[in-house]
Amino acid sequence: MKTWHLVSLFAALLSVLLPDLAAASADAVATTLEAAPKPSRLDYPVIAGISGRTLAWSMAQMHLFLAAFVLAVPLFAIATEFMSVVTGDDRFDNMAREFMKITMAAYSLTALVGGGLLLVLLVFYPHLMGYMIKVFRGQVLIYALLFGLESITLYIYFYSWDALRRGNRKYYHMSIGLVLNTVGLTLMFVANAWVSFMMSPTGIAPDGAITGTVWEATRNPLWNPLNLHRFLANIAYGGAIVGGYAAYMFLAEKDPAKKAHYDWMGYTSNFIAILGFIPLPFAGYWLMAEIYAYSQQMGITAMGGILAWLFIIQAVLIGTIMLAANYYLWSGLMRTDRGARYAKYVKYIAVVIVGGFLVWVTPHTLILTTAEIQNLGGTSHKILGPLGIMPAKNTAVNLMLVFTFLSFQMFYRSSRIPVVPWAKSANMVVVALYVVGIANIVAAGIYGYITPTVYKVGASVPQVMTTLSIIIGSVIIDVFMLRGAKSEKVHWGRMTERSQYALFVLPVAFTWLMGLMGYIRSSLRTNWHVYTVMKDNSPENYIPALGDAGNTITGITLAFMAVMVFVFWLSRLGQTKQADPGPDNSGATS
Amino acid sequence: MVMRRYVVFVVALLVWGAFFYVMDKSIMQAQGLPVGADLMPR
Repeated sequence: MKTWHLVSLFAALLSVLLPDLAAASADAVATTLEAAPKPSRLDYPVIAGISGRTLAWSMAQMHLFLAAFVLAVPLFAIATEFMSVVTGDDRFDNMAREFMKITMAAYSLTALVGGGLLLVLLVFYPHLMGYMIKVFRGQVLIYALLFGLESITLYIYFYSWDALRRGNRKYYHMSIGLVLNTVGLTLMFVANAWVSFMMSPTGIAPDGAITGTVWEATRNPLWNPLNLHRFLANIAYGGAIVGGYAAYMFLAEKDPAKKAHYDWMGYTSNFIAILGFIPLPFAGYWLMAEIYAYSQQMGITAMGGILAWLFIIQAVLIGTIMLAANYYLWSGLMRTDRGARYAKYVKYIAVVIVGGFLVWVTPHTLILTTAEIQNLGGTSHKILGPLGIMPAKNTAVNLMLVFTFLSFQMFYRSSRIPVVPWAKSANMVVVALYVVGIANIVAAGIYGYITPTVYKVGASVPQVMTTLSIIIGSVIIDVFMLRGAKSEKVHWGRMTERSQYALFVLPVAFTWLMGLMGYIRSSLRTNWHVYTVMKDNSPENYIPALGDAGNTITGITLAFMAVMVFVFWLSRLGQTKQADPGPDNSGATS
Repeated sequence: MVMRRYVVFVVALLVWGAFFYVMDKSIMQAQGLPVGADLMPR
């Protein structure tokens, strides 16, 4: 890359970041010291018996699903495009373009639902919106500006693909992609500031009077944990949705070459989804730790109160994601001729994944009748009860992640034969890393049972670091060990149709999971619009019952899936060309 | 040759064991949780 390419890239980045930074730093303290509004029940409009909360909830969740998708895909599209430059393989470039094609179909829907959400909020929660706009002042306008910039860069990035495909022009194209992603991430960070401010407000007096700058309100305690969590979740989510698209196309196509392309796309998408997913529990753990640090009451509402049971459902959904992703990887072993030699290990990995899943879904206490409690001798089962506490869950999830990575590693190795003379010794080092690492994870879990809570929580960090050490250590050793390795042919397209349904499971489970966790996060504010500052006095100022919430979340998930099927269908329709009937059958009349 | 592989394995077990021990201990201490040689609270 030439120097002036770098300069143009840097200038593009600055042009995006400067206005936001300048506005945030130069923002003077607000002059008004007016307390937050205290709307009465009559201040919340009732329109045709419509539940304002359910409508706002549905619109916000749908907007978030679409936004997460359209923000994430350009991130890995540019990474894939970069791969095409590094490797000189046009297949990467074609795949990146196809990723973007799906995004384009979903982008206008994102804007449409976002506009709808804004209207719903203004109609049903005018006082809250008025207060939020007062707190964030010019940032709201910056958001609108960024949204415009996002639209422009997205369209230029996609439509200039073929015009800026070769040579130096490719770097211009990637610079546009970089600007697009910078704008997209900034948009997400701004929106995150608003929702995290509602949970952990800063820059205001206890009565809600605005005393600080916009930056102080933005940089509230939960902002960065939420930023990280959503960033990783978006990558995983985007990967899962695109994987669903690839599976749809794989099943629909009859041409073996196209089937091979979509099989490769499905594998890459699954890889991206799992790449984003592996660190996600740790980001979630950080977010929850910060919630506890900010307000113990809020933390206990989440994990010890009414919402605690939902974490069991969360475990079921995450377990489903793990099983589906692993099943897809195991099926992929048949793509290579050497894959069969790894098949014998699959059953052991399956035992760990299923075992971890069962431990994770085991509750500590059960909802029981008096007679059942008497028969059981308490609310906690004698043998299974201990599996309900965090050391067991942490151990289970870390082992599941380690073994999911092992599934990846097996597929990666199945198409490569190392040629370095020290390969067998290096393999032993990797095996030892797994053995000691797994022992360390299990030991830290057992340690959690025999120590006070503070040590128990503290011991989860070494478990996380052990998992990451195993993954990073194995990757480093594999990179050196497989340098110059003899490549075996990968028969892309040699996959069962059944395996593609695992790729459908991923986006459905991810969508459901995001809806569920969104409900939990939002419910933590209980009867407050802005926690401890501005009370919600609407008729629906309570945490929705679990059954009602489940129905609403499922409804939104189904609606989103219907939207996605429409988007996939649109993308396929765009590729369909009517056969030329020829001059004799043109149907023209004289 | 086979013997050498197992020697490497045993040495690797010891090295990784030391690595994780140091890592665990430093992480716990960084969190303000002093631990003894057996990783039990003092």
